[in-house]
Amino acid sequence: MAISAEQRDPTLVSSIIETSRSHSQSPILELDNITCGYQPNVPTVRNLSLHLQPGQILCLLGPSGCGKTTTLRAIAGFEKISAGEIRLQGQPIATASFHMPPEQRRVGMVFQEYALFPHMHVQDNIAFGLYHWPTTDRKSRVQDLLELVGLQGFEHRFPHELSGGQQQRVAIARALAPKPVMLLLDEPFSNLDPEMTINMRKELYRVLRQTQTTAILVTHDHEEAFAMADHVAVMQEGVLVQCDTPEEIYQHPSCAFVAEFIGQANIIQGVIHNGQVETEIGTFPNRSDFRSDSPVLVMIRSNDLQFTPSKSGSGRIESRQFQGSQTLYAIRLKSGKLIHCCMSPIPVYNIDTPVNVQITTAHAILFQQPALS
Amino acid sequence: MKMIIQIVKNLPSFQYIAFFSAVIALSFIPIAKEVACAENSVVVYSGRAERLIKPALDQFQKTTGITVQLLTAGSTELVSRLRAERDRTPADVLITNEAGALELARRLQLLQPILLPEIETTIPAAFRAPDNSWIGLSGRIWMIVYNTQKINPSEINSLLDLAKPAWKGKLAIPTANSEYLQAGASMIWAAKGEKVSEEFLAGIRDNAGNEVYGKNRQIVAAVAKGKVAVGIVNHYYIFRHLAKHPTAPIAPLLTDQHEGEMGAIMNVAGIGLTAHAKHVPAANKLIAFLMSSAGQQMFSSINKEYPVNPSIKTDPVLPPSSSFRVSDIPLTRLATLREPIIQAIERLGLR
Amino acid sequence: MGRQIPLTPLSLMALGIAAVLTFPLAYVTYSALTGDLSILQRLWATRLPELLTNTISLAIGVSLTTLTLGISTAWMMTRYQFWGRAFWDWGFVLPLAIPSFVLAYVYTYLLDTAGPVEHIWQWLTNSDSRIPSPYSFSGALVVMTLNTFPYVYLLARAAFQNFNLSFEEAAYATGATRRETFFRVSLPLIRPALVASMFLVVLYVVSDFGAVSLLRFQTFTYAIYQQITGRFDYQSASLLSLVLVVFALIFLFAERWFRKQSRFYQTSGRVRTPTPTPCSFTKAIGINLAFLAIFSAAFGIPVLLLIQWTFTAWTNGELGSSFGSYIWNSVFLSAMAATAALALGTPLAYLAYRSPTTLHLACLQGAYIGYVLPGPVVALALLMVFTDMLSFLYGTVLVLILAYLVHFLPAGLQAMESALQQINPNLEEAARNLGAKGLRTFTKITLPLVRKGFSAAWLLMFLLCMKELPATLLLRPVGFDTLAVRIWLEASEELYQLAAPPALLIVLLTIPAVFLLSKKNWQTD
Repeated sequence: MAISAEQRDPTLVSSIIETSRSHSQSPILELDNITCGYQPNVPTVRNLSLHLQPGQILCLLGPSGCGKTTTLRAIAGFEKISAGEIRLQGQPIATASFHMPPEQRRVGMVFQEYALFPHMHVQDNIAFGLYHWPTTDRKSRVQDLLELVGLQGFEHRFPHELSGGQQQRVAIARALAPKPVMLLLDEPFSNLDPEMTINMRKELYRVLRQTQTTAILVTHDHEEAFAMADHVAVMQEGVLVQCDTPEEIYQHPSCAFVAEFIGQANIIQGVIHNGQVETEIGTFPNRSDFRSDSPVLVMIRSNDLQFTPSKSGSGRIESRQFQGSQTLYAIRLKSGKLIHCCMSPIPVYNIDTPVNVQITTAHAILFQQPALS
Repeated sequence: MKMIIQIVKNLPSFQYIAFFSAVIALSFIPIAKEVACAENSVVVYSGRAERLIKPALDQFQKTTGITVQLLTAGSTELVSRLRAERDRTPADVLITNEAGALELARRLQLLQPILLPEIETTIPAAFRAPDNSWIGLSGRIWMIVYNTQKINPSEINSLLDLAKPAWKGKLAIPTANSEYLQAGASMIWAAKGEKVSEEFLAGIRDNAGNEVYGKNRQIVAAVAKGKVAVGIVNHYYIFRHLAKHPTAPIAPLLTDQHEGEMGAIMNVAGIGLTAHAKHVPAANKLIAFLMSSAGQQMFSSINKEYPVNPSIKTDPVLPPSSSFRVSDIPLTRLATLREPIIQAIERLGLR
Repeated sequence: MGRQIPLTPLSLMALGIAAVLTFPLAYVTYSALTGDLSILQRLWATRLPELLTNTISLAIGVSLTTLTLGISTAWMMTRYQFWGRAFWDWGFVLPLAIPSFVLAYVYTYLLDTAGPVEHIWQWLTNSDSRIPSPYSFSGALVVMTLNTFPYVYLLARAAFQNFNLSFEEAAYATGATRRETFFRVSLPLIRPALVASMFLVVLYVVSDFGAVSLLRFQTFTYAIYQQITGRFDYQSASLLSLVLVVFALIFLFAERWFRKQSRFYQTSGRVRTPTPTPCSFTKAIGINLAFLAIFSAAFGIPVLLLIQWTFTAWTNGELGSSFGSYIWNSVFLSAMAATAALALGTPLAYLAYRSPTTLHLACLQGAYIGYVLPGPVVALALLMVFTDMLSFLYGTVLVLILAYLVHFLPAGLQAMESALQQINPNLEEAARNLGAKGLRTFTKITLPLVRKGFSAAWLLMFLLCMKELPATLLLRPVGFDTLAVRIWLEASEELYQLAAPPALLIVLLTIPAVFLLSKKNWQTD
């Protein structure tokens, strides 16, 4: 059972805190233009640069195959990089010619399937990284960690006797035990059911903040990224597309891909004409510096679109999906484009109803039309 | 002390190390095995079927208390083994079922002279090596066994007759690997020349067809059952079969007795003292036992072979050795002809 | 694929082990190719055609008969529900516990002229007609079929059990009869399993020595043994071995290729596996009788005979004190070899799996060739190596154990490989992440997790060594007769009763292991 922070003994907490405050100015981790991948000709990650301040939580966000897990494994030392440099606390731990093995890096990792040692008790799992500690210190550290993740009394259980959430807590405790410089987490919630996920997210956040652990989280779920991270790095096909705070990414996505990835967004064609952006569903002022007559892509959130039924409407409702607090309608426009529109659940509109779509925001994001390939 | 226990306990997979150590320790047992029975034992490499030699060896062990360690394999194989082992061979004596292999071993310098004075008086010179490094122990005639219900013995005058087309499908012969076949064919070569021996081999190959057996005993059994009319075997198998099945319709046939013919083909099973024997006194005791009346008696009455020691009576069921003429080809020639005969047999494609 | 493990001393060790295992065979090949080639001409003119015909026809014959027998029994077992089904389920695995030479020696007694079967036959047909002699092609065919059809049975049964009925139902819907459907839909769909079992059967037949030597059927393996023991030089034997080496290589490549080809046999969508349907009383009786006949021929009657003969031998006091020493020899040699194989195989398997560079994979593949080569060839290889060089080791126990290693390590390797494959690689990464270096990761994480699989590998190799015959015959030092050797020596002299106690012992020892191993492997073979 989780014990709330208030009930915790503050002195106990402070004994777990990593003493990295002195490095608050310089980054704890720097990825300097790294390239890595399985095959030499097709790198999975290209020219990636990041840095991370102590105590911060960074999220690597992107679809499957974008290279986020490879980046994580490169930091941990399970992948070699073919170009660039990785520095931990200012010291290079990997370059094209030098590769510090994982066991020397002092970077903790929580695997996607937790990778708990099935033949060892919970306490032996947690104590695995502490084998060179004196026995008494080891025992007390294990106890501290069990308290931290709320699993006191579970010392002698085996991993297969634990639920998914409990296993994850043991995995976190095990990774934190040897007091690593930072923590890496590979899609930690992908194996849990939705309700469990929400609880565990809160737990993990609490543990990370409490111990002031620097962490990198890999996920494909943008909600998770927004909930947990101080900074989000969006990746696509091995390249870093945007790295910003969650709010910035949401409000000012740097390209169509980011916009589509992090939320329900519609992208429609538009043309700049006389200082206005003309689209199929409406016109609004052009606040960008794109030149006139240039074709652009306009991103409008589903929440920023409304429709009204109209016999002469330019669109037709194709489907609807009830989502509890709102209903998501898919509307087929005259040009054939399908857009999504969030409306309140009442009234319910039927399929095939002709409608007129309006934009309810004055602010839309424009992107340059990418070159046709 | 506590630290040591700590280290040992924390050693990776303590159980594995314990297990492996136990296995390695156990591996020393065979060496111990060898050392333990050093003094009172003799190591025998035997090319004879165990059933035929074991009674004598067991009797020897009982009377003298010397342990006999026995390795049974083919005679040729044993000679190859001795050659490869050289001076590290554990073998003290080599027992084979025909003289050719012994003589070959002698020529390869794998044997040493047996220094027992009674050899001169007990074993006729024809049945031992010139330097006494091997001696014959029991004689065998390579002769015809026929089914009494199927043929008249007067139809066959010579072993060579069996190569004639008239005997097609009626003959059973040993396999190409058989030392007796090789020795017998060598004798024919020595007596009548290469061409005759090759004709003989080709003839019996065609006549036997599929009736090729690995064991003399099986040839005798086939003749007894009437599967074939005749077979070529060592004589004692016939009499052993008759001792078990007195009413079996088989009989031995001695051929080539007339003037000018080659005479009966006789070979000896024998024993040799290895050049690097480790237990020479014990080996000498064994050889002496096998030469003595006690040993010779066993070959004579149990095996139905011809004892080499002339003072020992042959079993009454056997034709007495004075009643037939034996080929006068010296046994030592078997060694010279071994390789050519094997090549001929292979060339002619005998099975 | 890019997961690197910096354990170069281990790589060297693996390379060394692979080299030791493949060197003898390379030496035989080299000697054969550089020897007197006129011998090859002579062999070609005289023995080779007969040997080729015999070996190939036996392989084909046994393949066909085991296919028929195996498929029909597997089909009936999976599709019908009848009384006694549970018994036959493990009954058909039992024949695997009998070594081929034991079955052969029992059948030389049963099928001999004026033997029990001939008497029954003559009584049944009221005539004097003869049954075919066991010392012939038909004898070898019968014995090998009865001994190896369980392989086909097990694989076919697994395939039938995992069969997707939708395919058959689709066939029926187009109007095909049951028979047509069986031959044109069901059989082809289980083809991978059938091909895999065919490989096993062919390998078994070609490399068998014990049965064909007792039945005196001239196959390559038997001929090589005869050449080794009947000649003073190993020329012809090594030339004949060349043929088998070529066969072994072809076999290995073909088998791998087939395995790759059959990987796409995945059924997508919903899979409906068959449930056995109850069948009529007469049908059930018929099936049971048929199964009883097969089971008796393959296991029941031989074992009963062995028990009877053992009892006779025991009451006659023929079980001497040496029987105990034969047991000790067998157990000792097999245990030593299995343990050494486990120790030597671990680096090979571990490296090939964790760090599959071309070098490591080549080491692993190289080790496998020893499995495909028959016993006499392995023995010949070692005989030649230890006569021409390192002769101070000739005639020692070490050479025999090395022969076992070369021949059987690959069998254990397969089991070790699959045990390693089942470990989630994340576990080892987690250990390294927590600071454990290579050796500690291996001993604390990998080893405990593969303990079961490695123990199964040890057991498998132990059993194979216990039953090994030709290499032991050729290489054993004095005083090291094993149970298998004793059986063969006594059986060649037709001393059936004397051969029975060691034979029965081997069968009894093998039965529990056959069950254990058959449960695991046949799904993934």
